[in-house]
Amino acid sequence: MPKVQYINPDDVRKPGQIEFKPIPVNQYSKTVEEEKENFSNEDLVRIYHDMVVIREFETMLNLIKTQGVYNGVEYNHPGPAHLSIGQEAAAVGMAYTLGVEDFIFGSHRSHGEILAKGLSAIDKLTDEQLIEIMDTHFDGITAAPVKAGHKGTTKELAIKFLVYGTLAEVFARATGFNKGLGGSMHAFFTPFGVYPNNAIVGGSGDIAVGAALYKKANRKEGIVVANIGDASMACGPVWEGLAFASMDQFTELWEGDMKGGLPLIVNIMNNQYGMGGQTCGETMGYDVAARIGAGVNRDQMHAERVDGYNPLAVIDAYKRKKKILEEKRGPVLLDVLTYRYSGHSPSDASSYRSKEEVEAWEAQDSIIWFGKELVKAGVATEAELEAIKTGTTDLITSSMKLAIDDEISPLMDVKTQPNLIGEMMFSNQSIDKMEDRPVEVNHPMEENPRVKSLKTKERFMFDANGKPFSKIKTYGLKDGLFEAIVDRFYKDPTLIAYGEENRDWGGAFAVYRGLTEALPYNRLFNSPIAEAAIIGTAIGYAMCGGRVIPEIMYCDFLGRCGDEVFNQLPKWQAMSGNVLKMPVVIRVSVGSKYGAQHSQDWTALAAHIPGLKVVFPVSPYDAKGLMNTALQGTDPVIFFESQRLYDIGEQFHEGGVPEGYYEIPFGEPDVKKEGKDVTILTIGATLYRALDAAKTLEEKYNLSAEVIDSRCMVPFNYEPVIESIKKTGRIIISGDASARGSFLRDMASNITELAFDYLDAPPVVVGSRNWITPAYELEDVFFPQADWIIDAIHTKMLPLEGHVCKSDFTEAEQLDRNARGI
Amino acid sequence: MAVPVIMPRQGQSVESCILGQWYKEVGEEVSEGDILFSYETDKASFEEEAKESGILLATFFEEGDEIPVLENVAVIGKAGESFEEFKAGVTTSAETPEEEVVEEAPKVIEFEMEETSSNARIRISPLAKKMAQSMGINIQTVKGSGPHGRIIAQDIEQASKSVETPAPVAAAPAAVPTPKATPAAKAAPAPVVLEVGDDYDVKAIPNIRKLIATAMHQSLQNSAQLTHHMSADARQLMKLRKKFKKQLADGEIKQNVTINDLVCFAVIRALEKFPQVNTQYYGDQMKWFKKVHLGLAVDTERGLMVPALKNADDLSITGLSSQLKQLSTDARNGNVNPDLLNPAAASFTVSNLGNYGVEMFTPVINLPQTAILGVCTIVPRPKEIEEGVYGFVPMMGLSLTYDHQALDGGEATLFLAEIKNQIENLIV
Repeated sequence: MPKVQYINPDDVRKPGQIEFKPIPVNQYSKTVEEEKENFSNEDLVRIYHDMVVIREFETMLNLIKTQGVYNGVEYNHPGPAHLSIGQEAAAVGMAYTLGVEDFIFGSHRSHGEILAKGLSAIDKLTDEQLIEIMDTHFDGITAAPVKAGHKGTTKELAIKFLVYGTLAEVFARATGFNKGLGGSMHAFFTPFGVYPNNAIVGGSGDIAVGAALYKKANRKEGIVVANIGDASMACGPVWEGLAFASMDQFTELWEGDMKGGLPLIVNIMNNQYGMGGQTCGETMGYDVAARIGAGVNRDQMHAERVDGYNPLAVIDAYKRKKKILEEKRGPVLLDVLTYRYSGHSPSDASSYRSKEEVEAWEAQDSIIWFGKELVKAGVATEAELEAIKTGTTDLITSSMKLAIDDEISPLMDVKTQPNLIGEMMFSNQSIDKMEDRPVEVNHPMEENPRVKSLKTKERFMFDANGKPFSKIKTYGLKDGLFEAIVDRFYKDPTLIAYGEENRDWGGAFAVYRGLTEALPYNRLFNSPIAEAAIIGTAIGYAMCGGRVIPEIMYCDFLGRCGDEVFNQLPKWQAMSGNVLKMPVVIRVSVGSKYGAQHSQDWTALAAHIPGLKVVFPVSPYDAKGLMNTALQGTDPVIFFESQRLYDIGEQFHEGGVPEGYYEIPFGEPDVKKEGKDVTILTIGATLYRALDAAKTLEEKYNLSAEVIDSRCMVPFNYEPVIESIKKTGRIIISGDASARGSFLRDMASNITELAFDYLDAPPVVVGSRNWITPAYELEDVFFPQADWIIDAIHTKMLPLEGHVCKSDFTEAEQLDRNARGI
Repeated sequence: MAVPVIMPRQGQSVESCILGQWYKEVGEEVSEGDILFSYETDKASFEEEAKESGILLATFFEEGDEIPVLENVAVIGKAGESFEEFKAGVTTSAETPEEEVVEEAPKVIEFEMEETSSNARIRISPLAKKMAQSMGINIQTVKGSGPHGRIIAQDIEQASKSVETPAPVAAAPAAVPTPKATPAAKAAPAPVVLEVGDDYDVKAIPNIRKLIATAMHQSLQNSAQLTHHMSADARQLMKLRKKFKKQLADGEIKQNVTINDLVCFAVIRALEKFPQVNTQYYGDQMKWFKKVHLGLAVDTERGLMVPALKNADDLSITGLSSQLKQLSTDARNGNVNPDLLNPAAASFTVSNLGNYGVEMFTPVINLPQTAILGVCTIVPRPKEIEEGVYGFVPMMGLSLTYDHQALDGGEATLFLAEIKNQIENLIV
């Protein structure tokens, strides 16, 4: 809550009532005849054409899935096909008014939207632009099959390219829009403004909001449309996206030309079913999905239900809603009513609906009806419309023949290049700024109060006599993070940061103190307490070309953005065939002292998911260097921080933390203390307990311990660890995560395989107990302590003379704990 | 009354704050709610308001000072009131020292160091195994010092040193069985059957067997032993034996003096003449015994045991006989003093297989002793009794195994000849 906004008790305690404005339902009533003044005959025929293309494309897939043959051509497609037969008017109506610079995001059922938006863009692009797009996408590999032997216009070629690129992608061909790595449910093509479609229901509900944020915060032309289903309105992340998109601050706090709402249309493709669940009458309670707008903000999201069986009704709505967005009064909610004749998927027996119902909708089929209207209005003859159908059948047939030809459209060559998919997981680039333009800041960096105060801090923890400086004089880990982040804010104009309490508060742990003064709202702001939206919007922001630091405060809140962190962020670089980069650095703080739901180390969850880089620095030098590397890169990074250590000074790097810019490469563990008898490898804040243990081992047991800080989990170079084991023959792996299923266990397993012949004892994991994290007062029985490490060495590696164990590392105890699951 | 103004504590983790600016000067009048000074923590800046009205009597810190939280910063009161007692350091902290935590008795974790008889597998770390291979160390002979008796790197290092210099091996406790003298130990436990095959059973090796195995193997590996054989005319022995037998029957003596007792008596006499054999060898040094501590190999149900008879050279033939009898009975019953089973307890060992008809064998030295005498059966052999006259004479086989590291062949031969001489001319 910023101080400028005063909550007056006299105002907010006043009695009153909320008034809702009526929400229009299917108000459009014009005939084709009446619309002739707004559309040329050509336009109207093109609308018909585009619907027919979608219908034929989906019909072809339906026949292949159900009968294995289309138009005499046999093919077996084992993958998914969620078809939208019946929904063509909604898709074409949605796409018709959109410009190339407008982005659409979709769902698992978005073939129609891809084609509609692609056809719309092709109509608006010049021949030169189209040729450039076709020639540059994967160096013309996708265009080559359709270019060969093409006779006709460039636009006709582009249409073939669109249909072929989409179909090849559906069939997992290397010539597809995303090299076949996205497939039916994820296909997209950004040069036509088609952004990722999403196989997770409601997945685009927050990602699209981030794309709109990108447009707004970077002053980019265009709007963003989130095509999501009526059933996705039950999903938490969709609601979080709505909350994020409708934040008051856009109009209340953002300043100058930044003032105003997001350029976003949440377009509910309301086919009235979620798989087999009927959203009106069974699984939801909104009755008319447009009603939802009334609960979101004062503008009721300008919500409206539109008849999605009439393309002109949808186009009319879009023309009006785009104007609202131009006036910066977004976001908008549209409830586009439609119906799919095809099942949810080919395995759907439609047991949840009656034959009569499907037939009743087919009787009002939008393509047949619209064709009749065109003939009736004298726009086209039946023969002309028939010619469109025939031409489309030829188009789809020839595209299909190309797409299933293993010579022309091969699968990705994973036999001779087995690591091809692996190489797609990360983009691994080093880029100062995502866009070259001046950065938007409030003052020169050297005038920043935090930057100034850091000049007076001690950058090494100890004075010449080895005495530590006082906490307040010491340059801490949080200062290292700040320096790296503020530096990037002054380098990369696209960089933004947000999360809970990121602005005035300075971040819950004071990392951002000083940034509020330096940055305008559109670069640093407070988000709603909605982790799914915080991460989801960051994904959308990065997809469009920005760099972003979302922060989720506590590691324990990772579950709140599970789909975004585990299912979206890590997947899009590879699923796009490396078209997209994902420079998202998620700051995650690992807590302590706050009990079971605020003190968990979940590094293993992040490290388990392919496609994420995972780091956990625990000294100021490492924190600054690794944050610099994270922000210079183009890959998603889960950046763990420990709440035990925000104030800790640098005690390892000679000369303290450098003032200038430097990077620490990811994946390199760091020997924090050399030794020769036993290696202790740590993840996170446990490093300092391991150093305590090393001290005791040396003083009491004459055993010299080498202590290695892993610093990163993904990537991770095991070689320095193996080198250490060659010297010591023994290794303890310790960290604050509950031991079961932790990354500590993963390391132990790798080390056993990699260094078996050098081991004088099994690698021993000293992790936290498999319990709830208890209160601070009881934490010592939960988190690994220095004693535990010594006890583990004594019990499992090398009996230490005169040592008496306090904790139980015996095999009997280990068996028992596992047998009891605790 | 004057009241102190303290540096507030802004959060649990804050230890000190930096004083920003004084807004009031000493002597100035302050009202409740007036801002006195600003201060900052590492996370934020704050302003402190006066909680009392009065005169600012004193300030104890300058701007920019780092002040521990809860420390007195200033004093507000009436003009002329004393404030010295509020000065930092004068007042005592109200905090009580933390009570010392009485620790509960720590849980003692005991280590099962001895392997159970049912577990015949050798536990060894991969590193130790690799080291043993490259250094040519037989892991069967190494005792592990790691958890569960696992052989770890330091054990192999230790073993490799003892290959170079046998001393540590000789001192190693594994060289001889040291079973606890418990009645239960008297009977050999039935070996645990691990696996039953079509025509065989796999049985566990009892502990004593493992210890014997280790000791024997180590002996052969860590010494340069070889055996000389010689025969002694046993007629004098047999004469003496006959005499003692009669005395026993007549009740003149209580002791059944056996052939073995007589041989031992002769051996002791020979050792007195050859002190270099009454020794233990430790690589760079030798232990020369002034007394003869005679080891006697005893076959028991549980396996071979070699108890030592201390100061055997002090004994008469009957005394010797009596003590050897007692010692072997104790060994068979499992209640011999374990100290006497230590191979370092004896200076020389006699192993007699004569009763079993063995004509010649190569006894294994009980390290660190330098030699062992094997006593064989008596067989009649042709011998020139007088010039040109041959007859069959009962001859006793003697097999002396000695460590060539400690003794040379000549010395050993002379010693063996001396035993022969003593036996043939035994006077008791």
